[in-house]
Amino acid sequence: MNEIKLIIADDHELFRIGLAELLKKHDDIKIVKSVADGVELMDALNSGLNADIVLLDLTMPNMDGFQVLKGIKSLNANIKPIVISMHSVGNYIAKCAKMGAYGYLLKNTDESELVFAIRNVYKGKKHFSAEISEKMINFMSTQSVSENVLSRKEIEVLGLISKGLTTKEIAAKLFVSTRTIETHRTSILKKFEVKNTAELIKKATEINLI
Amino acid sequence: MNIKTLVLIIINSLIVLVIALLSFSFYEQFSSVLNDRILMQLNSIEALESIQIENLVKSEWESFASSEEYKEDIDSTLVLSDSIKNINGIHDFTPYHKDKKATIGFVLNSKKGRKIKVIDYSNIQNILLERTGMGESGETYLVGEDFRMRSESRFLPDKKPYDIAVKTEGVISALKGVNGRGIFKDYRGVPVYSVYSLIQISNLKWVILSEIDVSEVTKPLEKLKMRLMALTLIIFLVAVTLSLFLTRIIVNPIKNMQNSLRVMAKGDYNQTIEYKKSSNEIKEMFEALSNLKASLQGAVKFSEAIGNMNLETNYEPSSTNDVLGKSLLTMRNKLIDYKNKEDDSRIMAKRLLVNGLENERRRLSRELHDGLGPYLTSLKFYIENNVKDELKKTEMKKIVDEAISEVRLMSNALMPASIDDFGIGVTLTNYIENLNKSTNINIEYEDLTKQEDSNISNHQGINLFRISQELINNSLKHSKAKNIRITLSEFDEFISLFYFDDGLGFDMNSVKLGSGIINIKERVEICNGSILISALPGNTTFEIELPIEL
Repeated sequence: MNEIKLIIADDHELFRIGLAELLKKHDDIKIVKSVADGVELMDALNSGLNADIVLLDLTMPNMDGFQVLKGIKSLNANIKPIVISMHSVGNYIAKCAKMGAYGYLLKNTDESELVFAIRNVYKGKKHFSAEISEKMINFMSTQSVSENVLSRKEIEVLGLISKGLTTKEIAAKLFVSTRTIETHRTSILKKFEVKNTAELIKKATEINLI
Repeated sequence: MNIKTLVLIIINSLIVLVIALLSFSFYEQFSSVLNDRILMQLNSIEALESIQIENLVKSEWESFASSEEYKEDIDSTLVLSDSIKNINGIHDFTPYHKDKKATIGFVLNSKKGRKIKVIDYSNIQNILLERTGMGESGETYLVGEDFRMRSESRFLPDKKPYDIAVKTEGVISALKGVNGRGIFKDYRGVPVYSVYSLIQISNLKWVILSEIDVSEVTKPLEKLKMRLMALTLIIFLVAVTLSLFLTRIIVNPIKNMQNSLRVMAKGDYNQTIEYKKSSNEIKEMFEALSNLKASLQGAVKFSEAIGNMNLETNYEPSSTNDVLGKSLLTMRNKLIDYKNKEDDSRIMAKRLLVNGLENERRRLSRELHDGLGPYLTSLKFYIENNVKDELKKTEMKKIVDEAISEVRLMSNALMPASIDDFGIGVTLTNYIENLNKSTNINIEYEDLTKQEDSNISNHQGINLFRISQELINNSLKHSKAKNIRITLSEFDEFISLFYFDDGLGFDMNSVKLGSGIINIKERVEICNGSILISALPGNTTFEIELPIEL
């Protein structure tokens, strides 16, 4: 069985020691390096240190986990980062996943899951526990990531405009201020390159938007 | 001396002076004309009578001279001396009369003998009695060379004319051959107007005098004097009355105005000025006073307003010379400057305070999260590595896990790390997702901030987060709302936080100070934003707008 070469990157020495102690018990895992911040880690990787996995903390001085993820991606190395963080909120998880993390663990993760994750990732799989996945998905579901010409909100506003509602009525319906609706309307007109509501509705109908 | 007395004295003394001068000159004129008239009248009477007498005597003489009857036609009452009888001509025989009766006689001695005749004196007396135009006291009389009267006196009819001595100025002057006129005392000692002349026919040398009493002549003058005095008195009284009236017209408004000014000097500009429109000038004067009052009131109101720090109040200076208005305006501008500076420094101080607070929270949050957290995880590893008893190990690990999640909660409550790492939009998403798990209220949050390159500053983000926290807190605690809707929109120019709940609403005026509204307003203020609150039951909304600061 191949040894899994592991780097621990965390600014807390006590945590590194504890973690190392924990993983020592597993013969297939070998800790090749233990660093206190991102700079140190990137230096080690650049100097040709060969490792399979890095257990990466997000909050570190000098260079934090996100920057490290970016650095690793551009390095095009084989090393697979697993984020191990105190942060338990969805956006952190989602961001890490987006930036190329193979796994996301909370720092108080049990030994068994930790080891399981390391082994899973080593095999080339991604590891996000059920709890972590749920948090991530919950967050992403509320995120509006519409890349369309019109934002989701703007389409909503456009729909209500076409029904003949006044700005005030739309504002009350969408739970925003009238000025917000005015701004949306102006923005929509600008994006459609039209001058008034009549032209807007005509154009929107032409492209089957409403 | 007050103006009333002054006006009275000036006007009335002027009137009295004019009337006195007029009366005096009128009187003088009148009296001199009267004198002339009287004397001329007397003169003509005297001249007429003197000619009549002369003619009478002369005609008598001629008829006597031509008569051929030579006889001494005299009675026994007349005692003539021979010397007299030898002198031809007309004689005054009175001294030779036994009873001294006025007598004129003719003596003519010729070759044919001697003629003597006494003429009828009653003819002469009749001429003298003709008193037309002589008034009550006028008389014409004759005086002989011996200063004794030769005709009957009107005033002393019982006395013999001869017994009345008339040695007056006129007689003396006439006997000297000087005819004339004048005012002097007559034989009675009474002042008279007198015209006198000498009648000299042959040996007869008499003085004829026409006289009239001064008292009678001046009677109309006295009347005139009385009338003039009465007139003067009436005019004076009328003048006094009129001037009293006039002074009232002038003085009353002045007094009125004086009172008004006195009241105004004491600082009361609210009195109403009443006046009678007795004349244009007074009307205009009061209008000017009203204007003054109005402009002072304006200034007072304005200064009251700026005293109450209503610095938006404006004031139009009444003219370019309105020093008071100008200095008030300067004062207002200074106060505006001062207030702006004060506001700035107050907001700055608040901002510093809030920032300090937030920084402290952040530090504490990070300390818990990044400081205490890792120790706890390390402890967990230690337990994992060193505790052999599986049961104890599991128990201990569970306790540590709870401690860690507690630290996480505390850290998040203090200040979510998300704000610094992901911005306000995402942080609110997380915060509300967590809340929805622990409450029964349905909170919907719509994040319309820009995911990439958002322009919301960290400072604004923290404040928006705190505001949202506070609003949600209020809704949960007080409103009994079932639904909360929050929308955070980011635009190029501004950020809009819209908050809605369907709770009870609240009274804007009686809302408790501790309920966080003040906190929210302060946070909006330190972000230079604006807030619009509508707290209707079932539809409470907060519209908060912050400017994008690049």
